[in-house]
Amino acid sequence: MRVAIADDSVIVREGLARLLADRDVDVSGLAADAEQLLALVDAKRPDVAIVDIRMPPTHTDEGLVAADLIRGRFPRVGVLVLSQYTDAAYALRLLDGDETGRGYLLKDRITAADALVDALERIQAGECVIEPELIEALLANPARSDRLAALTPRERDVLALLAEGLTDRGIGERLWLSQSTVETHVRHILQKLDLPTGSGHNRRVHAVLTYLDR
Amino acid sequence: MTSLSWKVGAVVAVGVGVTDVVLSAYQGVTLSDLVVGTAVNAVTISAGLVVWASRPASRMGVLITVWGICGFLADTVGLLPDSRLGATVGLPLVLLPSAVYAHMVLAYPTGRLVDRVDRAAIGVIYAAALMWSLPLLIGSNPSGCTDCVPGVPSLLFIGQIGPLRTIGQGFSALFIVLGAAFVCLVVRRIRRASPGVRRTLWPLALAAVFGGAQFIARSAANLFGFASWQETLLWLDRASGVAVPIALAIGVLTTRRARGPVGNLVVELGNVQPGGVRDALARTLGDPTLELALWLPDRGIWVDERGRAIAVAETSSRAVTLIGDDLAAIVHDPDLADQRSLLEAAGSAARLALENERLHAELRSQLDELRASRARIVRAGDDERRRLERDLHDGAQQRLLGVGLVLQLVRARVPDGEAAELVAEAESELREALRELRDLARGIHPAVLVDQGLGSAIKTLAGRSSVPVRVSTDGERLPPQVETASYFVVAEALANIAHHADAGHVDVTVRRENGSAIVEIRDDGRGGADATGSGLQGLADRVKSLDGRFSVHSPPGSGTCVTAEIPCG
Repeated sequence: MRVAIADDSVIVREGLARLLADRDVDVSGLAADAEQLLALVDAKRPDVAIVDIRMPPTHTDEGLVAADLIRGRFPRVGVLVLSQYTDAAYALRLLDGDETGRGYLLKDRITAADALVDALERIQAGECVIEPELIEALLANPARSDRLAALTPRERDVLALLAEGLTDRGIGERLWLSQSTVETHVRHILQKLDLPTGSGHNRRVHAVLTYLDR
Repeated sequence: MTSLSWKVGAVVAVGVGVTDVVLSAYQGVTLSDLVVGTAVNAVTISAGLVVWASRPASRMGVLITVWGICGFLADTVGLLPDSRLGATVGLPLVLLPSAVYAHMVLAYPTGRLVDRVDRAAIGVIYAAALMWSLPLLIGSNPSGCTDCVPGVPSLLFIGQIGPLRTIGQGFSALFIVLGAAFVCLVVRRIRRASPGVRRTLWPLALAAVFGGAQFIARSAANLFGFASWQETLLWLDRASGVAVPIALAIGVLTTRRARGPVGNLVVELGNVQPGGVRDALARTLGDPTLELALWLPDRGIWVDERGRAIAVAETSSRAVTLIGDDLAAIVHDPDLADQRSLLEAAGSAARLALENERLHAELRSQLDELRASRARIVRAGDDERRRLERDLHDGAQQRLLGVGLVLQLVRARVPDGEAAELVAEAESELREALRELRDLARGIHPAVLVDQGLGSAIKTLAGRSSVPVRVSTDGERLPPQVETASYFVVAEALANIAHHADAGHVDVTVRRENGSAIVEIRDDGRGGADATGSGLQGLADRVKSLDGRFSVHSPPGSGTCVTAEIPCG
């Protein structure tokens, strides 16, 4: 797998490159801002671009803007946005329009290389990846407990993983369940929450996230 | 006006009348001539005395009286029995009333000639009026006299002078020019006057233009020898003479009307509201553009009645009148300066009210200053928060991440065992540190507020609350300082609810109404919240620094409603 890294912090940029190289990930280039990143992506066409959400010049949401641009110009390149914020608004903005090959993780995750590489692989496969801590916070919101009261504890576990962007197969592997069992759980959850059942996997993630953030 | 001045005026009028009657009886003058001549002179002298007595400061009274006396003397000497003395004194007096008349008109209403052109013109007119008689006093026309030269020679008579007729024609021509110049000066005066001054000026100006025109006509008749005009012109002369006292009377009455409001001003100022003195003065002085400036000695600046600093400077279009020592200044239409006495009267009348006004302005100015400084402090605090948050992100957070990255490299290189476990432990501690740092940065300044707006930021706040929160926002972006203030209001209120309210749930509403953001946090807890507690008081200060309103409604047992209304303009 080939990745490009964009972060204005040299420590993070270089450190991350070393770490990924250590894990046999091919780092095709480093960028200090969104502009450099776009040039890099254009030249190297990596599988995934890892983007810090906050870069020069405004230090606000350059990473999300860059993700949008990459989606428009290089639809086959996945984007993983690394962020400091557990606000669902950012993740929803990233998924807006097209969820394929998009990831939103807390920057802390780079201190857990296994999870990071796993996320990169999922993004390369076209899945979407959402920060577990963010989902945890959404599910913990007491204002939501009434709405989620109809779910069994197991269904809640499935819902959390569903929201994180895992496929039915991925959920089954995590929870040691058969894929058909997971499918049944998912169908029940969507029915109970009154969400559309027919849509594709990534759409489903978006729908669940939106529901939880309401 | 004193009754004495009226009496003196009346006595003089009678005296003039009697003198004229006696002399005209002696001379056999026609009744119509007598009535008109006497009336003009008697009325003029009386009017002059009355004005003199009632307005000693104005030189107008002197001028009118002198004019009347000159006219009386000129007429009376003409009526005296033919004598060389009469001729010597009478002749120079013939044109003197016309010169005084011109002087009086151009000096009206102050009695002083301010304009340099006016002053020069009047000088020439006096000189011409006196010089005119000199050739006629020392000589006589060989071919007889066409003007009203007395039948007997004067005391200065020398003999026949050849070019006397030519000299006379020269003077007539000069008089036409001077008459025309006089009319031009009067017209100029009217055109330059402000509407207010013009109102008091026009009756006299009209009479003066008429007088000037008939003077020009008379001079022309002399120059070209139109003897048949003489009778008509004599009547016109008298008519213009009568027109002047009437015009003056109208002028005086108009000025009195303008003075009346000073009395009203005193009454009005008795119950004027703070900030209303300017309007009262503007009405009294008839200048809607009038500005009032109050001097604040402590700060060394001029301010308006609302306490805002203003500049006070005399320009070509604005005049400044100072009231009291370092109290106030009226900036007004320069034409008002003609009515100096009115300005001074109004200024004196308003003095006490102005002292009061200045106190209010000072207070307002201090309040404005205080409000501005409070807003600055809050803004500086917010800027500082943003800077701090960014420093944390750019500094400590990145370094800790760097450590985390290195630790992973280390872990991959040490064999399983105690060292690997220690590294894992370090990593776990590090992640906890990163999480705490993230929460700290968020508490200092939530980036989502700037990036995604108030609605998203409140949603995250609500999600972290231990009490269920229902959020209702319209998603519209508000000005940054309004979003920041609203955010901290919600954050503090939710923290208070979690700690003290014992509430079942909370409703947070943000809506826009009449150009203001209205933030409402309503819980169903036990109520009785202390609005003067440091948390809520701090919020009130923050909201008020943006000219907003903050209220806490918390009856015991019925929940609490915190409301902030912040203008977005």
